[in-house]
Amino acid sequence: MTNDNIRYRFKFEKYGNAKFIGHLDVMRAFQRAFKRADINISYSNGFNPHQLVSFALPLSLGYTSTGEYGDFQLYTEENADELIKDINSSLPEGLKITRIVKLREGVKNTMSSVCAASYNIYFDKTVSSYDIENNIYDFFGKDDIFVDKKTKNSLKRTDIKLDIINIEYTGERVLKTLVNAGSVRNLKPDLIAEAFMDFLDIDYNKYSFGFRRNDMYMKDNNGGLVSLIDGVGE
Amino acid sequence: MRAVSDEILLSVDKPARYVGGEVNMVKKDVSNIDIRFAFCFPDVYEVGMSHLGLQILYYFLNRRDDTYCERAFAPWIDMEEKMRKNNIALFSLESQEPLKNFDFVGFTLQYELCYTNILNMLDLSDIHIYSKDRTEDEPIIICGGSCAYNAEPIADFVDIVYLGEGEVLYDDILDIYKEYKKAGKSKEEFFVRLLDFDGIYIPKFYDVEYNTDGTIMSITPNHPKAKNVIKKVIVNDMDSVFYPQKQLVPLIEVVHDRVTIELFRGCTRGCRFCQAGFIYRPVREKNYKTLLSQAKELLNTSGHEEISLISLATSDYTCFKELAEGLIDEYKDKKVSISLPSLRIDNFSLDLMQKIQEVRKSSLTFAAEAGTQRLRDVINKNITDNDILSGCKLAFDGGWTKVKMYFMLGLPTETYEDLEGIADLCDRIVEKYFELPKENRPKPVTVNASASCFVPKPFTPFQWDKQDSYDSFTKKGLFVKDSIKRKQVRFTFHNTMMSSLEGVMARGDRKLSKVIYNAWFSGCRFDSWTELFKFDKWKMAFENAGISMEFYANRERSYSEILPWEHISVGVSKEFFIEEREKAHKAATTPNCRQKCSNCGAKCFGGGICYDKR
Repeated sequence: MTNDNIRYRFKFEKYGNAKFIGHLDVMRAFQRAFKRADINISYSNGFNPHQLVSFALPLSLGYTSTGEYGDFQLYTEENADELIKDINSSLPEGLKITRIVKLREGVKNTMSSVCAASYNIYFDKTVSSYDIENNIYDFFGKDDIFVDKKTKNSLKRTDIKLDIINIEYTGERVLKTLVNAGSVRNLKPDLIAEAFMDFLDIDYNKYSFGFRRNDMYMKDNNGGLVSLIDGVGE
Repeated sequence: MRAVSDEILLSVDKPARYVGGEVNMVKKDVSNIDIRFAFCFPDVYEVGMSHLGLQILYYFLNRRDDTYCERAFAPWIDMEEKMRKNNIALFSLESQEPLKNFDFVGFTLQYELCYTNILNMLDLSDIHIYSKDRTEDEPIIICGGSCAYNAEPIADFVDIVYLGEGEVLYDDILDIYKEYKKAGKSKEEFFVRLLDFDGIYIPKFYDVEYNTDGTIMSITPNHPKAKNVIKKVIVNDMDSVFYPQKQLVPLIEVVHDRVTIELFRGCTRGCRFCQAGFIYRPVREKNYKTLLSQAKELLNTSGHEEISLISLATSDYTCFKELAEGLIDEYKDKKVSISLPSLRIDNFSLDLMQKIQEVRKSSLTFAAEAGTQRLRDVINKNITDNDILSGCKLAFDGGWTKVKMYFMLGLPTETYEDLEGIADLCDRIVEKYFELPKENRPKPVTVNASASCFVPKPFTPFQWDKQDSYDSFTKKGLFVKDSIKRKQVRFTFHNTMMSSLEGVMARGDRKLSKVIYNAWFSGCRFDSWTELFKFDKWKMAFENAGISMEFYANRERSYSEILPWEHISVGVSKEFFIEEREKAHKAATTPNCRQKCSNCGAKCFGGGICYDKR
């Protein structure tokens, strides 16, 4: 990173048809939108110059989100509202920037900052609101919650309880969860759904469940969780 | 509204194939539309979306307020299974409505092995597969593209075959259709009206009769207005012809993610094996200033970081230098890379490649096609070993270490000496690299040579020749592989059975419709995909129809035989093809169109290179 680059953090939503595209495609969609919007984006030096854009944490295919983040660098300083307007008019349907903040010097990028994420789990109709309400706290109260976590070529028995920070039933078959997220510890909420359905002894079809990432968090100076875009501006 | 539920979409591979919503997708209110046109590419989304013809016709048709052109692709097998299980009819990406609701369902025929996909797409749409079975309420099935010049194998399935370039006639077709639809006229009346035009072939107005040996006895119009010979239609003025200012930008990675500009149509070269070189004659160029402005517009509206200059032989473009330098000047600081497919080795410009490399490293490919000079003369591929080797030397000097070579197996008159020539040429390329001083060889050299199996195509001088059997292709391929001495050379060859089937379809007649139907019915789809190609099922399909593959693929025709495409004209005369074939067998070459006119017949279109001063 050179001094002439000005860094921004952007928060965006992913919804509608965009939930059917994966992380790499989202990155490409943004890169092309930056070009179409003629944003003065910085490029890396070297043999294969690429845009200096990075994203916090991949979102699983099929998930929607109201709290995705990325950082980019510009060669010139621009007005955040103008940037939002220009980029949004170039993005495909289903991707929308909701906030842009010019970063203070020294702020770590989203990728290395993120440590937790909040997700909503939308249960399908095989399970009633009554069943969820009457079992979820028993489930979460267990000492450990073991599931078979798929790794590249094997199944690994894992205690996901260690990565669940909080679970809250909000009614209407929606479960709100707060879990560890990031490169150190990471839990995908479909494992919670799977484990809970197993606990209820009901067959789990992950394709009929809905998942939404609500927000992503980092630690503040006091060790509390704050949204990735809070307190990072100048 | 989506045609398919989230649950189904999430359970298939790459669901974005089926939801539309791409950047620059055209949206229209279907209640204000007179004509609904489904542009179908009979292969998977990523292949179809990389096709320039789709991008052009999509915007060309959508520039009309009364028409909504939407897209459909062949659903991948996982999706097909879900669709059949859940009774979901094939739908367009834009409105997500069943294809059955459309006025036209158009297929582009880019390769012969897509035919079962066409049947499958019709069936998934709940549209009758055979033209004769379709009712007034069902869409009109129209097809175009390079295989349309011999569409006989699928003639029973389609209603209209469009011969030539789409920009010429589609406005007329749609205007007439709209008028006839409003007046409550029948499909039949519409088809008859279209007989007024060149470039429109309606198979049902022709009867084909056969001799007892299976060859064609006659092709006879059965309607007084049907022409004896149907001539293709082409655009003469390439600078004023419509070109889209936008491109559809897919949300998932497709085969070619880039902006495409079209330098010219046609090719001056006259390589005798190459169908494209004859069916797209004559050469008609765009002005380089037109191209530079189109490039700019498309890069702005797409956000792509790569631009591809396409045509049949890019470096034959007369203003190639001006164009390439214009692009480099404009884009070298804007992180746009330039890709130059089909750059010929004989006027290969190291300087230019170096300039492009400054932006982003590109690969180096040479199409030598044959291993010896004699055989290259037979096919009229006018390059020499020396051209190739000196081209490689320049490339090695410039820092390239990877060379791709394209060859063909089974060319007419080929001997084992020619096959050894392939191995020998590859080895000599490696040796050329080792002639460099050691300090200039930082990386190991690799030569990736691949060979396709020669398929004789209609409208080429080799249209009468026999194709090698697949066993013979395999034998030859293995022979070349064994003859290569250098470990730096990697040699692969194309699926030989696929090439045989392609050979049958390319020169097939209407009797093959039964075979295609059988093959589709027994489960064949995506025949150009190695992992899905089921040759056993195809063999059964031929057997059950009582038809021999050898009759079509491995039989030499006489000049007097009536060929299945006898009633179609691409402007190049039969006499010219015969002359060229006779010259081929004597290994005599023909100069290219820029050097000298050889009176092929394409002058009849009244434009292009035929009227240039030489």
